[in-house]
Amino acid sequence: MEAAPVGLKCSFKIFVLTESELIEQLKKKDRSAFKSIVDAWQDMVYNTAIGILQNAEDAEDVTQETFIQVFESVSAFKGESKFSTWVYRITVSKAMDHIRKKKRKKRFAFIQSLYGKDDRPVIDPPDFFHPGVSMENKEQATELFKAVEQLPTNQKTAFVLNKVEGLSYLEIADVMKITDSAVDALLHRAKANLKKILKEYYNSLNNK
Amino acid sequence: MMEDEYINKKIKAALESLDNIQRGEPRPFLFTRIEARIRNERNMWSKISSFVATPVIAFACIFFVLILNASAFLISNNSTNSLSQPGSELATADEYSQVSSTLYEFENPKP
Repeated sequence: MEAAPVGLKCSFKIFVLTESELIEQLKKKDRSAFKSIVDAWQDMVYNTAIGILQNAEDAEDVTQETFIQVFESVSAFKGESKFSTWVYRITVSKAMDHIRKKKRKKRFAFIQSLYGKDDRPVIDPPDFFHPGVSMENKEQATELFKAVEQLPTNQKTAFVLNKVEGLSYLEIADVMKITDSAVDALLHRAKANLKKILKEYYNSLNNK
Repeated sequence: MMEDEYINKKIKAALESLDNIQRGEPRPFLFTRIEARIRNERNMWSKISSFVATPVIAFACIFFVLILNASAFLISNNSTNSLSQPGSELATADEYSQVSSTLYEFENPKP
């Protein structure tokens, strides 16, 4: 990364770069272009990551990893899709990698506990509360996120991109590299599964 | 009946709870933390250690060591088998008779 010539450059003239110009600058490893890209897309990346991972620390970690990947592999971006679509793809794949890593760690911790190396009890994470949900919907959203956690990976991804990030079916299709009818089917199945999971949950609460 | 209606209402409310959701925002100074991480990851040793710690690489290394052990075992087995053959025993005996020399032979070499 270049030292920091940005301040000098901008002190005489204010540059307003378009998205493609920013990308070109980023390909030259320009620090100010990278900063502009992080500033512009950080909420989008973080919100997607927190929707999938349901943990603020993990989401921050994945957000950092996503931008590092963007910085390092921007030369591979050929402009065939929108830049935001490309960034979404990296975010989703990094979030999935993170989930796999966490599962592996859990399995390893379990094996260690069998051999008596780690006697610390496994603590279940507290209920997830998305920072963008209003206080009046907090309880219902927490229950919904618990149900979302149980969905298969692709249904979960499509649901988060649609409901949490507000992407259209076409945009989700671009990100997931599937057809828009496949997105429709995924979301339909996700909603049916969520209804089923929530019904079981509320029934169990009623029977207590 | 009443219970079903109540549960359906709850399900509907849960599914609609994300309707007006706002975007979550990361903590301030994210860019600074990313820059620090890039600097850290550029450190050669951290790169090497993270590469070696990858499960695929670790398992490949273990597999490679096992293959080396197995091949070394097989080769040593083969060589002991070939030494025990009668023809090779004679050859080795000849070799030894040429190599081994007494102190007398050493001090008075033959022309």
